[in-house]
Amino acid sequence: MRVFTDPFDRLLDDLQETARPQREWVDGRGLLLIMGHFLSGVGAGGWAFASALGFFPGEVASVAIVAASALAHLLFLGRPERFWRMIKIRTSWVGRGFMGLTLFMAASIMYLALRVAGLGDTTGAVAVWGLSLVGAAVIMLYKGNVYAVCRAIPFWNSSLLPVLYVAYALRGGTALLLLFLPWTGLGTAHRLVEVLELWIGLSAGVCILFYLTIMASSSVGARRSVEDLLRGRVAAAFYGGVITVGFVIPVAIGLLNAVTPVSLGALAVVGAASLVGDFYVKYAIAKAGRYLPHVHGAR
Amino acid sequence: MRYGMVIDLKRCFGCYGCQVSCKAEHATPPGVFFARVVKRESGTYPNVRKVFLPMLCMHCETPPCEAVCPTGATFKRPDGIVDIDREICVGCRYCMQACPYEARYFHAKERFYFGAQGPTEYEALGYAQHPTGVVMKCDFCAQRLTRGEKPSCVMTCPTNARTFGDLEDPHSEVSRLIKERGGEPLHPELGTGPSVYYLPA
Repeated sequence: MRVFTDPFDRLLDDLQETARPQREWVDGRGLLLIMGHFLSGVGAGGWAFASALGFFPGEVASVAIVAASALAHLLFLGRPERFWRMIKIRTSWVGRGFMGLTLFMAASIMYLALRVAGLGDTTGAVAVWGLSLVGAAVIMLYKGNVYAVCRAIPFWNSSLLPVLYVAYALRGGTALLLLFLPWTGLGTAHRLVEVLELWIGLSAGVCILFYLTIMASSSVGARRSVEDLLRGRVAAAFYGGVITVGFVIPVAIGLLNAVTPVSLGALAVVGAASLVGDFYVKYAIAKAGRYLPHVHGAR
Repeated sequence: MRYGMVIDLKRCFGCYGCQVSCKAEHATPPGVFFARVVKRESGTYPNVRKVFLPMLCMHCETPPCEAVCPTGATFKRPDGIVDIDREICVGCRYCMQACPYEARYFHAKERFYFGAQGPTEYEALGYAQHPTGVVMKCDFCAQRLTRGEKPSCVMTCPTNARTFGDLEDPHSEVSRLIKERGGEPLHPELGTGPSVYYLPA
């Protein structure tokens, strides 16, 4: 891996024939976007589970996390003061994501207000809750699609990516609830969340395996990206963050818990490790993205 | 009317004149190349070959950058030029990820060729057209076209490797070259319908 100390050296390198890595969405302020994608997934997933279980602290935390993700997205923009212009939902997944996020924030805050006012069981509150779930679903769906429609970056251009992002958003949601266990408990839902965490975690792992297998036998750009992940510039994040922290540790504790119940603290560790892994999945996929090479025979 | 360009790879010998003249015409900041030349060396000594591939915005018929733009800042003009409304662009850089030709650049902050020395008179004048926080790209030298001139890279090319004209006019030079010499766009498999064609080397 070449390390550039001067931006001009890097730009000269860009004029070469290689499948150039994308940098705008991961380096520098691009990290804010990755953080935004991570937080919005966790918040939307957390809301789906917490509101279904009626777990108020989880609901509040989910809304706060989605709000933080909105802030991260905003800070990433070159012209944040124009954010309200992102309303072209006909063809743009970023536009759809923005609308979903806006819908979610409005509906979820309104629903929480109704709950606090003791009107949580009214028909209106249920309708607002439904709208918040629609917003959460859009948030979970849009991120993977944002990447998947980019034909310029073969590693991202896969219909498996939206599935992977939804799986990780749901897993992030269960992980968030597990974090609360040592302090609040989850009542009878405790066991259900544990099982869901393990099940979604295993599913997400299988999904990643399929994704990488397909990409490894795809076009030059995608193969280079897989190389980056497995033995290149993103390998540390992939093996350390995605595999070890994000998969091995939670699944090992989860399986142990299935045999002999572990402490609530250990389950919170599962939640924290899953969240770290979730972040690294987003980071690694964005970082590994490379543009199509333009010259025949380039690598 | 659909503006297009034909680049003869047999004539291009990699002088980078187009790249330099484009920078001069548009006063682009350091690291921004609306027109650039990608090079490739192949073979082993003494049988080596060097290929130059001049690149620019392909002004696609169905531009993926336009489809993904969440604000509508990227738009297609009636003459086929894909342009950016800098007053609407929000700087999300989605178009940069969607463009298979890497023709777009994000102007994050003002940078000058002489660093701490500040902008030269030329830079101070030229950079006024490049607001920060938005994406920028080649516009086929739209300003020159309105004056009846050809794009700067076309005028500069010392070997006349570049030809500019109307792709919809079957009698234009660009249409003739594409037909007679078998011009091909870059990455036709993506279905973007580029308006820049390459004649084989």
